[in-house]
Amino acid sequence: MKYLTFAALALGLAAGTAHAESRLDTALERGSLLCSGHNGSFLGFAEVDDQGNWKGMDIDLCRGLAASLFGQADGNLEIVPISWAQRWPSLQSGDIDVVIKLSGWTQSRDTELNLSYSLPYFVGAFHVMSHADIGAESVADLDGGSICVSAGTSTERVLASYLEGNNIEAEVVVFESGDEVKTAYFNRRCDGLILFAPPLAATRATAEDPEAHVILPDVLGLEPESIIVPEGDPKWLDVQNWMLSSLWFAEINGITQANVDEIKANPGSAQIEKFLGVTPGYGERLGLSDDWAYNLIKEVGNYGEIFDRNIAEPYALPRGMNELYTNGGVFYPLTVD
Amino acid sequence: MHSLLRNKTFRDTAFQVGFVGGLILMIVVLIFTARTNLEAQGMTSGFGFLERATGWGVNFSLIEFTTSDTYLKVIWVGILNSLFLGSISLVLATVLGTIIGVMRVSGNRVAEMIGTTYVEIFRNLPLLLQVFFWYAVLTSLPRPKEGISLFDVAFISGRGMYFPGLNVTGGSVFVMFIGLFAAIALTIWLRMARRFRRMEPATKKSRGRLIWMVFGVFAVVCMWAGRIPDTDLLSIPFLKGLNYREGVRVSPELLTCIIGISIYGAAYIGEIVRAGFNSLSKGQGEAGYALGLSPWQTFSRIKLPLAIRAVMPTLINQYVWLFKSTTVGIAIGFVDFFMVISTSINQSGQTLELIAILMGGFLIINYSMAWVLNRVNDAIALKGSQLRV
Amino acid sequence: MAKTYQKPNYFDRIRGDFFSTKLDASMTIVFGLLAAWALWNLVNWGVLHAVWSADDRALCGHGTEGACWGVIDARWRLIMFGLYPFEEQWRSAIACIVMVIVGVLSCVPWFWNAKRLPVLWISGFALFYGLMRGGFFGLTPVFEQNWGGLSLTIFIFASVSLIGMPLAIVFALLRRSELPWIAHTMGLIIDTIRSLPLLSIMFTFAIVLPFVLPGWMIGDKLYRVIVGYALFFACYQAEIIRGGIQALPPGQEEAAKALGMSYWHRIGYIVLPQAFRNALPPTINQFVITFKETSLVVIIGFFELLASANAAYGTSEWNFAHIEVYAFVGLIYFIFVFALSRYGAYLERRLAVAER
Repeated sequence: MKYLTFAALALGLAAGTAHAESRLDTALERGSLLCSGHNGSFLGFAEVDDQGNWKGMDIDLCRGLAASLFGQADGNLEIVPISWAQRWPSLQSGDIDVVIKLSGWTQSRDTELNLSYSLPYFVGAFHVMSHADIGAESVADLDGGSICVSAGTSTERVLASYLEGNNIEAEVVVFESGDEVKTAYFNRRCDGLILFAPPLAATRATAEDPEAHVILPDVLGLEPESIIVPEGDPKWLDVQNWMLSSLWFAEINGITQANVDEIKANPGSAQIEKFLGVTPGYGERLGLSDDWAYNLIKEVGNYGEIFDRNIAEPYALPRGMNELYTNGGVFYPLTVD
Repeated sequence: MHSLLRNKTFRDTAFQVGFVGGLILMIVVLIFTARTNLEAQGMTSGFGFLERATGWGVNFSLIEFTTSDTYLKVIWVGILNSLFLGSISLVLATVLGTIIGVMRVSGNRVAEMIGTTYVEIFRNLPLLLQVFFWYAVLTSLPRPKEGISLFDVAFISGRGMYFPGLNVTGGSVFVMFIGLFAAIALTIWLRMARRFRRMEPATKKSRGRLIWMVFGVFAVVCMWAGRIPDTDLLSIPFLKGLNYREGVRVSPELLTCIIGISIYGAAYIGEIVRAGFNSLSKGQGEAGYALGLSPWQTFSRIKLPLAIRAVMPTLINQYVWLFKSTTVGIAIGFVDFFMVISTSINQSGQTLELIAILMGGFLIINYSMAWVLNRVNDAIALKGSQLRV
Repeated sequence: MAKTYQKPNYFDRIRGDFFSTKLDASMTIVFGLLAAWALWNLVNWGVLHAVWSADDRALCGHGTEGACWGVIDARWRLIMFGLYPFEEQWRSAIACIVMVIVGVLSCVPWFWNAKRLPVLWISGFALFYGLMRGGFFGLTPVFEQNWGGLSLTIFIFASVSLIGMPLAIVFALLRRSELPWIAHTMGLIIDTIRSLPLLSIMFTFAIVLPFVLPGWMIGDKLYRVIVGYALFFACYQAEIIRGGIQALPPGQEEAAKALGMSYWHRIGYIVLPQAFRNALPPTINQFVITFKETSLVVIIGFFELLASANAAYGTSEWNFAHIEVYAFVGLIYFIFVFALSRYGAYLERRLAVAER
């Protein structure tokens, strides 16, 4: 009898607590954001330094999101290290609130996996890097060789279809963690290493002898990278989109981490007043505090700063396509009204 | 009510119903929760996805596999790979383990010391660490261009080992190996089982020959049927471009798993074998010497068979345990059952279904392995009290 | 005329041990040469030609013959403490030492007592947890996500043992229950879990459980994996305890029954203490395996000892030095595991002597 009552109780509770509420409310209630980390470093986007701290573009976006939600990231952000292959189950099961892990927008993920994509925050091409002494000038020259790739990524599929489409017979060697992929390449387990262009260039730049590696010119595919939330959670998706938009808005209006206080005290226009929460509205509609964008910029700076800090400065890489539209890039802020 | 509670039969029944019922209810709750959770996220369930094309490839497969094949097939590839790895590693671990175990009871101090060092080192380090280590060692072998050549027909390099081979499909080789195991098992059965004890030695011998002849014909038929059309039957590896072409290739991932698991397993099996020898009474060996048998005869005809029988049940558990450890392959990218499931989960999103397949697969494999080995044990076990246990 | 017994001198003894027959002698020479060769190469690589300091990184790299221990010099704190905040790592170190002391103390027979041992472990564990987690006495809180390296390995091991042991006792008793349904169901559960790979159980608990559990029961991923591991441990350990119980002469329990002792008294005072004594060697062996297999959580994505080792050579600066890093981490594992297994062997001998 006791068991029966307990079970009935459990059944009732179970039915009551399905993940029906928005992840936004879940995170706000919890008082911290569970964001995706990497299991090993992914240069430029998530790295672990000598002292065991996370840094990188993805990590900065996590910090920015936490600051938008709670005012500041410190104490309100937990980076959960997960492998590539665990991103989706972890997101769906609620282990993490959001995936910011350089994940591309593919049809199968969008439909079969039931994921929702934010605006792309990064656009890049897949390239293959190869050892210079092999003398390869294109991916086709790697015919018969081997190429290293991370398991369960869109890269794996892009590579498979590229090789098949161009009739190149190369062995594809798959690893669970980013570190193992790189180590395998440097130990010459593979002739080629396929990665997203910026981390690939970063990997080359930090190699013992960068001249010993060449990035082959072939573009195996171009992919937009987005922040990902579960489908059917529009409130949470809105927050992601507006956070990204705010980063670009700040950049286009010259608001930086350093001068945000100054500008808040003396905003030039009504739009910026609204943006920084001097006049109400910008946060309330999203279910956030009105000065959330101020907190965001205060925490991580604008998009350009994030990019420079994590990718441009350490690895001397140009922004290229990832510039604002005013500089010939693809990014633009949404209208703040 | 009170008297009812004191009634032992009633109480026992209540306990049992409560326990089993509680478990069943728990499972029901889990299923219901899963359904609500999945519905809340609009996720589809069911096994329909198994028919979909994967869109990603595997780098090691015993059967033909392309990116347009289905999930069902990729899972089957994973299971075959696991079985393949498991069977090779277990055999090697047994051979190596027996050598180590014998070294430790050989009576030669140096051999004992080497055996002990081996066991202490490899048993006291995590398998995963050993696998990482071997992988690092194997991949830092010279590149194909500077590969080590053995008589120009076999090569060792950081990309794996290359041997001359036959141009036949992996599946037919697999079938042939199953035939080989069957032949070995039948031979052992014929030699050991009580059923054939009264058989004339000559008949026994001819039956044994018959088994192997049938196997020989079977093997040739397999090879012939599995021939890849329009190629020479014999394929010898040669260097072209970045890598060797043709021949049979053992990838570093597979080789690492085989080396890692057999060396690790051998340390455990060595200990078991040693315990088996130690459990023999001294009289057994002494009786052998007294009969004028040479040390080798005493060892191979008396001590070893007795020791193997004594430790067979422990060994069976060890085999099941070792087979489970093939899952470490995922750490270095060997496409085994577990890795295939893990990648499929990520690519298809059908977490619950795929985990159910994983669990079911391992249960079936391990239960049937234990069942077969236990039958072998029953067949060769000594009846009576020859052994002092 | 008859030779009196002479104590063998040193020379004779060596001859007896190493060169008693021709076969023996040739084995000695072959194996001896082999061992000497391996040892020489090892010393050559690890000591004579080794580079010891991180500042001399330029000296090592591809193509040198010696080990490059500089990588350990540069990255040892990452290996030992993982992502734990740099300034707070002393806490992590002390916590590890506390747990090691608890482990050593529980090898002292004085603690082998149903009251002392749990008290020792629970208080030691609480101290460990408090130090690691912080949040009081001015210690800054450090969340589990940031734990790593050796301390995470020890944490997983200790919590698995703490949860798994009581669970194992319950499982063993249920499996031995006189009520057939309970015994059979429990047997089925134990056998099923035992035939699954640990990795798949960890994976299931990490990934699948949140789907099937009601929201309030989900908890942190680390704890779910620990619970899964503890369940696995309990199923193995339950069989070991059951073996220990079965080895008891049936008269023990019957005598207790005849004295009118209740079930719990019989189990608590007569059966279990003796069963544990019988099962001590395999139990220690089980602990050894459990400690080693904590390394599998790397694959689930935790930053324990082996994962932080991978991260240690994961930078471009040190990516050639994996063998050195693995050797270092291997040494750490070896120290723990070897000590434990030696202790187990010692106990086995002691118990064997006691039974004679």
